[in-house]
Amino acid sequence: MAINPVPDHVPPEMVRDFSLFTSPGMPPTPNGDPHAAVACAHDGPPIFYSPYNTQDGRGTWVITRAADQRKVLQDTETFSSHRSIFSSILGETWPTIPLELDPPAHGAFRSLLSPLLSPKRVTALEPAVRERAIALIDGIAASGTSCDVMKDFAFPFTVSIFLRFLGLPDQGLDTFVGWAKDLLHGDDVERPVAARKIVAFIDELATNRRKDPVDDLMTFIVQAQIEGRRLTDGEIRGIGVLVFVAGLDTVAAAIGFDLAYLARNLKDQELLRSEPDRILLATEELLRAYPPIQLIRVATKDIDFEGAPIRKGDYVSCATMIANRDPEEFESPNTVDLAREHNRHAAFGYGPHRCLGSHLARREIVIGLEEWLARIPTFRIKEGTAPITCGGHVFGIENLILDWS
Amino acid sequence: MRIIVHNAKCQGHARCWAQAPDIFKLDDDGYILPGDIQVAEGEQLLASQGARSCPERALEVDRTSAARFEPAAMQPRTGEA
Ligand code: HEM
Ligand code: SF4
Repeated sequence: MAINPVPDHVPPEMVRDFSLFTSPGMPPTPNGDPHAAVACAHDGPPIFYSPYNTQDGRGTWVITRAADQRKVLQDTETFSSHRSIFSSILGETWPTIPLELDPPAHGAFRSLLSPLLSPKRVTALEPAVRERAIALIDGIAASGTSCDVMKDFAFPFTVSIFLRFLGLPDQGLDTFVGWAKDLLHGDDVERPVAARKIVAFIDELATNRRKDPVDDLMTFIVQAQIEGRRLTDGEIRGIGVLVFVAGLDTVAAAIGFDLAYLARNLKDQELLRSEPDRILLATEELLRAYPPIQLIRVATKDIDFEGAPIRKGDYVSCATMIANRDPEEFESPNTVDLAREHNRHAAFGYGPHRCLGSHLARREIVIGLEEWLARIPTFRIKEGTAPITCGGHVFGIENLILDWS
Repeated sequence: MRIIVHNAKCQGHARCWAQAPDIFKLDDDGYILPGDIQVAEGEQLLASQGARSCPERALEVDRTSAARFEPAAMQPRTGEA
């Protein structure tokens, strides 16, 4: 992993020893709290340069203020999304779609996919989501007084909903979760292997659905038209890969961090259990406190942005976990207040790329917490165990063993 | 009271709608319908909470007297969606 030298145009006083990958609390840490660890970004200047802040060791500008992140993410002409995060793992440069396309090309694909994940559509999916949560949790409750939340609940729950949406069978679940894990948290050998498997899988699925259409997302994509034409193989692959990656890990990570918080904060746990109406608002606060994603943009031109001499080609990082702890945006940002109002957090990003899955993700988290709290009595982190957290491009948690004996 | 809708800024977070579905109407993709929103007496608190929940700052609360006196009937609203 090469660390790029700090470019000449970056003033030395703007360089900070800070990284979402290597700073304290970012590598896998037992009982870690990586979200709290990044809050230290607000101790310094609002924008600084981090020499090592992507998975492949590039430097980025770090935008800490929520208001500045809004400006960056809303200005797609200056700050482009085209950076081939996925395909660069394979040494290629095609975009995942719509994530890595800029307007106006972005709009056509976004409009194609929006109705599939709209608030209305998600309302229609709700009964199936709830049924799945209940089945899993009832199984867990019946089989003992302890479980590994990620393995037994968070992943099976979120991934199976997602597979149903994609039109894939549940049997593939463990394989897919394994690929996602290697892709997001694997080393330099594991990541390209996983990426290649995902691409091959999506390509094959597209071929199959072209031959034998069924009622699922991939069939919809291979049959869809934009601007009067069918999509190209590359576009179909770009969409398939993105949807696969976007939904696999994120919701599960959010649920994991949320249940870890509740396991350690019994008063809040009891409050939500006895007054489940509070879960809707509490979920927003948990999304603020524990969002999983760092967003990256590439400058398309030289610009002096809020005092930072950003030059064409520079990477710009908008980490949602940093914006969400901005003291200028949130009162007492490091306090989790489950009754916080007017919570305009950045968990799903800002601007035209706002998470298309946000409505589904929110429902899954709310339903997951509702059904968990209704069925599992007071739970704690199991004595003698320690959940392992990590930072990075997507924050994660594993080995979260809960106990309610 | 009137809510000024900056459609170009709306990115479909649907937070306004989550607060007050009867005041903030969305299209099929989940983006707010065009046109400023005339708020009825008694719905002002809810409307301003909805406006304040927009992450993109696409909704602006207008409390000037002109806004207050404009009859709601003058406001073109599309009912479907
Ligand atoms: C808690 C869970 C989730 C979080 C925190 C999250 C967060 C995000 C963020 C921050 C972005 C913007 C990325 C950027 O601008 O560079 C994004 C984009 C996206 N997300 Fe999510 N996401 C979640 C779950 C999901 C799910 C479940 C799906 C699919 C079913 C999904 C599909 C997408 C898609 C398609 C995009 C690209 C949108 C575009 O480029 O126009 N996400 N997500
Ligand atoms: S909250 Fe804002 S961005 Fe979201 S739908 Fe309403 S107006 Fe649009």
